[in-house]
Amino acid sequence: MTALTGITVVETAERVCGEWTGRLLADFGAQVIKVERPGGSPTRLYGPHLGGESAVFGYCNTNKKSVVISLDDEAGRAMLGRLLERADALIDDHDPRWCMQTGFVPAGLRKRFPRLVHCQITPFGQHAPDDCQRAFPINVAAAGGWAWHTPSESDPADPPLMGAGRFMPDYDTGLDAAIATAASLLRQRRTGQGQFIDVSEVGVQVSRADVVLGRALAGDDEPSHSRRTYDMGGPGDVFACCDGFVHLVMLTKAHWQGLRKLMGEPEWTGEFPEDWLEFQCTPERVASFREQFRPWIARQSRNQVSAAAQALGVPLVPVSTAADLIANAQYRHRSYFQELGGTCYPAVAYRMTASPVRLTSAAPGLDADRGEVLA
Amino acid sequence: MSLRDRGGPLAGVRVLAVAKVWAGPYAAKLLAQLGAEVIKVESVTALDEMRAYGGVDIEHAPYFLSQNTEVLSMRVNLKSKQGIAQLRRMIAASDIVLDNLRPGALAKLGLSYEAMREIRPDIIHVSIKMYGSEGPLGYQTGYAPSFAAIGGLTNLVGHEGRVPRGMNIRYGDTTAGAAAAFGAIAALHHRERTGEGQQVDLSAVEAISGLVGDSLFAFALTGEPPQHQGNAHSELSPHGFFPAKDGGWISLACDGDAEWRAACEVLGHTALAHDTRFATHLQRHCNRAALEEEIARITAPHDAADLCARLRARGVAAWPAASSLDLVASDQFWSDGTYRMVICGNGDSRPVVGPSWRMEPDEAALACGAPTLGQHDDYVYRELLGLDEAEYEAFKASGAIS
Repeated sequence: MTALTGITVVETAERVCGEWTGRLLADFGAQVIKVERPGGSPTRLYGPHLGGESAVFGYCNTNKKSVVISLDDEAGRAMLGRLLERADALIDDHDPRWCMQTGFVPAGLRKRFPRLVHCQITPFGQHAPDDCQRAFPINVAAAGGWAWHTPSESDPADPPLMGAGRFMPDYDTGLDAAIATAASLLRQRRTGQGQFIDVSEVGVQVSRADVVLGRALAGDDEPSHSRRTYDMGGPGDVFACCDGFVHLVMLTKAHWQGLRKLMGEPEWTGEFPEDWLEFQCTPERVASFREQFRPWIARQSRNQVSAAAQALGVPLVPVSTAADLIANAQYRHRSYFQELGGTCYPAVAYRMTASPVRLTSAAPGLDADRGEVLA
Repeated sequence: MSLRDRGGPLAGVRVLAVAKVWAGPYAAKLLAQLGAEVIKVESVTALDEMRAYGGVDIEHAPYFLSQNTEVLSMRVNLKSKQGIAQLRRMIAASDIVLDNLRPGALAKLGLSYEAMREIRPDIIHVSIKMYGSEGPLGYQTGYAPSFAAIGGLTNLVGHEGRVPRGMNIRYGDTTAGAAAAFGAIAALHHRERTGEGQQVDLSAVEAISGLVGDSLFAFALTGEPPQHQGNAHSELSPHGFFPAKDGGWISLACDGDAEWRAACEVLGHTALAHDTRFATHLQRHCNRAALEEEIARITAPHDAADLCARLRARGVAAWPAASSLDLVASDQFWSDGTYRMVICGNGDSRPVVGPSWRMEPDEAALACGAPTLGQHDDYVYRELLGLDEAEYEAFKASGAIS
């Protein structure tokens, strides 16, 4: 038994953010019915493809059912209407113009289906101007501020970075949309009433920076056009080692003592005051530390040196590759990757004692569940 | 009973937050933003470090004030037996205990999940640890950039041909916190259905891996290791950041040839659209370096906001990369509720970052900012726990409440 068993979600979403929302709900046992346009969701076109199936679509749509409905015609719209009559929630990520064209506008839906939890995801929210209703993840990362400040210690001559892969902001958005939808479904259980939830993708990015940005909003920190406003200073960074990269955080005297021990107390470390990280962390010292640390760490192996550092209380960790994670002992112990049909899927970040998450079915083929869904 | 009826979908849910720094308090804040009554367990003997960052006055600490919207504060000295006894009574009165202390720290206080279950059988324990609460590497600890590095994110963020430097150092805590909040709400559903509580054991590094899950899944399918590749995109072209006037940068993404042609018109270089190196997606993809060089040369003298507005007017997705000054100066965010004014426990009114969602009807009210230390002691000890005046004063005198 999982937590959302018995809940039916209709997903008309056609972008990764909306599909990820649906998958998070499906992880917990909600029956998610994916309504696809004739030809299929545009996300099925994202590469790489294996055996004709998109890996992105495969990742975002486990545990769901698929039905093709054309919302261009009256019969299709009536069909979706009938699905919504017995649904608990609707997840959509189209712009208001699409909603107008299909007739599934928020206010109308609320009147027709007062019990429905309707989550609508758009780049800036429902009230944003017309030209803010369509954006790609790179635009969302740009408008939300993280790109400008990535990586740390950005050189103004280097372009900002949108994040990892093509869809990172979409996954953060999906989390917030799933949180709000699941909370609203709890209210529905208790009151029998629905809600309209208006999620802003850029709002998610801004929320994720709450303490950094909050200080600037309140004037505790000077907002600026510097690329380094989100930085923390200090010597922490990614360093090359003999078989990849490690990441070091160093903030305290204890970290420094641990690191010196790890390196075998080399002479150059004696030039640094014991409390330099807390009270005397000048840019010159940071540069000097990095310069002298680099040749040492370059000879180490990432996993071994990380384990030795952790034993000394130093937050030095490997920069994992995909292969590292699949082999990672802790990931294996917690079954982060789950096998489904002979393929290894990233599953969920939590272990739950009473309602564990199981991936039960691979992403559906197009229209695979038509008979069952429309019965 | 709750202190105030703020409405919202989680009205009536009480969360006890034994949470410090960022990931745990962020999870707590999200639940509060949905209407839950969140009570932060604090003590002058073990302050949330956020009360100490950025100054000496714990009631005017900028990080703390930026974070704890609609969170209540109760003081409990966890080093005191009497304090722990009171905390146990609060656990009995709560739905969720959220903890991001070091692995094993709560168990040392006699408050393992099993022990909390004895106190309240249907308690939901949400545990946030870097690597999860146990297991072969469960002892390891780190900060947000450590999560990002281990979780596989850092390796996939970097300029092409250079060391992958990862996201900005601040990235990671809040995503982990959001994953924890979702787990908490899922557990509430399970309890609502079955009456059963449970432990939700979150691994922050796994939460980060979820953000690169499609890359991990593609690797599992193809065996081809994913690499960091700047802002390159296999399906959209052009796709990237291009320079603008005064050090600005614009994000630009074109889906298909028609959008590319429209972009060229706005840029005043229609010839580029017909250039045989760039006319089709495949050509643009194969000649990406030359394409990006051409575009950069054209965009560089333009004002970022103005150019992006003109591109969007033609249906091309383009936004300036926002600096902290751009974000703070955004009229849109001040008017649409992305930023909210709250009154903090110290009496100051303060703008804070609001939630990413609006709800209609019954959105949770957000009026109060971060609490002062122990601001809600009276509510907790008198109203919820029903201490009489003499007991309450005695606990304060003994330091159990301090």
